[in-house]
Amino acid sequence: MSEARFHNPGWAGNTGEFDLTEADVRGSEFVGEQPPDGGHPGVAPSLPYMLARKDPEAPLFEGPYQERFEKIRGRYPTARAALIPALNLAQELRGHVSPETMDEVAGLLGLSEAFVRGVATFYTMYNKRPVGRFLIQVCTNISCNLCGADEVLAAFLEHTGTELGETSSDGNFTVAEAECLAACGFPTCVQINSRYFEDVSAADVPAVLERLKREANDGF
Amino acid sequence: MAYPYRHEKETRVMSEGFGDPAARTLAGWKAMGGYQGIARALEIGREATVEEVKASGLRGRGGAGFPTGLKWSFMPKDARRPHYLLCNADESEPGTFKDREIIRWTPHQLIEGCLVGSHAIGAAHCYIYLRGEFFESTQVLARALEEAYEAGLVGRDIMGSGVDIDMTLHVGAGAYICGEETGLMSSLEGRRGEPRVKPPFPAAVGAFGMPSTINNVETLAAVPHILRHGGEWYRQWGTDKSPGTKLFCVSGHVNRPGNYELPLGFPLMELIEDVCGGIPNGRALKAVIPGGSSVPIMSAEDCRACSLCYEGVEAAGSLLGCASVIVMDDTTDIVKQVGRMAYFYAHESCGQCTPCREGTAWATRILRRIEDGRGTEDDLDTLIEISEQMTGTTICVLSDSLAMPIISSIEKFRDDYLALIRRGERVGAA
Repeated sequence: MSEARFHNPGWAGNTGEFDLTEADVRGSEFVGEQPPDGGHPGVAPSLPYMLARKDPEAPLFEGPYQERFEKIRGRYPTARAALIPALNLAQELRGHVSPETMDEVAGLLGLSEAFVRGVATFYTMYNKRPVGRFLIQVCTNISCNLCGADEVLAAFLEHTGTELGETSSDGNFTVAEAECLAACGFPTCVQINSRYFEDVSAADVPAVLERLKREANDGF
Repeated sequence: MAYPYRHEKETRVMSEGFGDPAARTLAGWKAMGGYQGIARALEIGREATVEEVKASGLRGRGGAGFPTGLKWSFMPKDARRPHYLLCNADESEPGTFKDREIIRWTPHQLIEGCLVGSHAIGAAHCYIYLRGEFFESTQVLARALEEAYEAGLVGRDIMGSGVDIDMTLHVGAGAYICGEETGLMSSLEGRRGEPRVKPPFPAAVGAFGMPSTINNVETLAAVPHILRHGGEWYRQWGTDKSPGTKLFCVSGHVNRPGNYELPLGFPLMELIEDVCGGIPNGRALKAVIPGGSSVPIMSAEDCRACSLCYEGVEAAGSLLGCASVIVMDDTTDIVKQVGRMAYFYAHESCGQCTPCREGTAWATRILRRIEDGRGTEDDLDTLIEISEQMTGTTICVLSDSLAMPIISSIEKFRDDYLALIRRGERVGAA
């Protein structure tokens, strides 16, 4: 699996025919840096909440995060509607949403703990327990499946030395199966934290993992 | 060749900016004629805006194909209570990947569409409900929305018109059912994404109990062009019953998968063989799912004369849905793929209605048994019976969406099932 085989790790349409850069496709230059206070209130509920950096003890919420939480609350006619964005914010900081975190968020919004647990456990993107620095979610739904997604998933498990849902011993990787990620024209699609890696074949998996390890070493 | 794949037979109205980083910015979108649609809508007023979209014949692109202008006209005319426009950007129908392309390449196109829609229904606040997985495209949209606020295109007194329209990006947390319009409303309100019984319809009692309209991303992306050029202009493409252009998301076994914008009524085989460069390795076509995983499967024979418009696909025994064309060659193991879909629907069932909660899980177990070579012919009758009981018996159509591929695959590919049952062999397994 040479690096050359994996021309443009990480973005759509990786067939070697294109002249756009990864930043062009991801839009990262246009997006720039997002402030922790969430920027404009209209976009405050929208920041990525699956990050490599996690602090399970982080307070809910302080400093710019408190500011963002207040902006979010101001965008909805009810306190309840801020629940999902608030849980997102909690996961962004802590990396997972424990029962204690759910109860804390319930207290912040004046909702019952039972209600919040019912909501939080309904949604699959809330990690109910800690996950690795990189949560690797491989789509195995129909379009990716037709193009070899089962082999891609098997390759991620093999090369991380883990079972499905288990975290690797170095704490770097947790591999999971995902439902359709809406990137069906670029199979197989793999969501790694907040990024999509597209057109991933089983042969590309070692190169993807190498890239992630480099990023982990760089303090990503 | 530029990304994404393009083809000379395309008619690029909404997809002109795909693959062009400059089209993302406010300046780039304006250079392409952006924000002229909302300017005209503000000039002609709310009712004339609805009439213009009615005249275009635009039908909802989220799957149901309901006429957009008509939907808008159901909203109360008075403004005694707040009205909401909800943009459904929870794209999660397997095989569908068009909304994400609109959001990440042309975010201002969507913002402008949301402004026109909000104006047309008298909404002072629009929520864009984005699926949680779309972190990257959401950040592009967020930056564009900040640009639009800074330029006075969104917020108070937009473009000096006296009209106030706020916009909020709301990010979900992973649940297919939130793409169902009433499930989306439940989720927006901070609840589990459980669909609600209709009536009352959202135009009467919607988000937060207020009159609401839910439109798909692609529907709203088409609207600025219709306002700018007129409803009649939009009708130059497509058929009488299916006017305009549509993004076709082609995936599976084709040489050039991707989003292609074509006039409705385009021949299915021409899309596969010409636009998408045919099936790899000279393989033969086995089956097509034309509208996302929730519609009946078509055999190669069904595809021959099929034209891709709402009425054309219906005549061929399936549904256009959101025009997500999943192509399967003759190596495809149909039973495995239907089993994978069943697993998906069982996983995504919200669990409110018994026929869906039990039926999707039961069907998944039977399909797995057949796939493992432990099935019986009676299992096929049981699958049909469960599927019939899952059709029209629940609050939303999630279970119907599994029933359709099960029933159609047994009808059209019975031999694949029987081969597994009788000999424990898979047909087409590579």
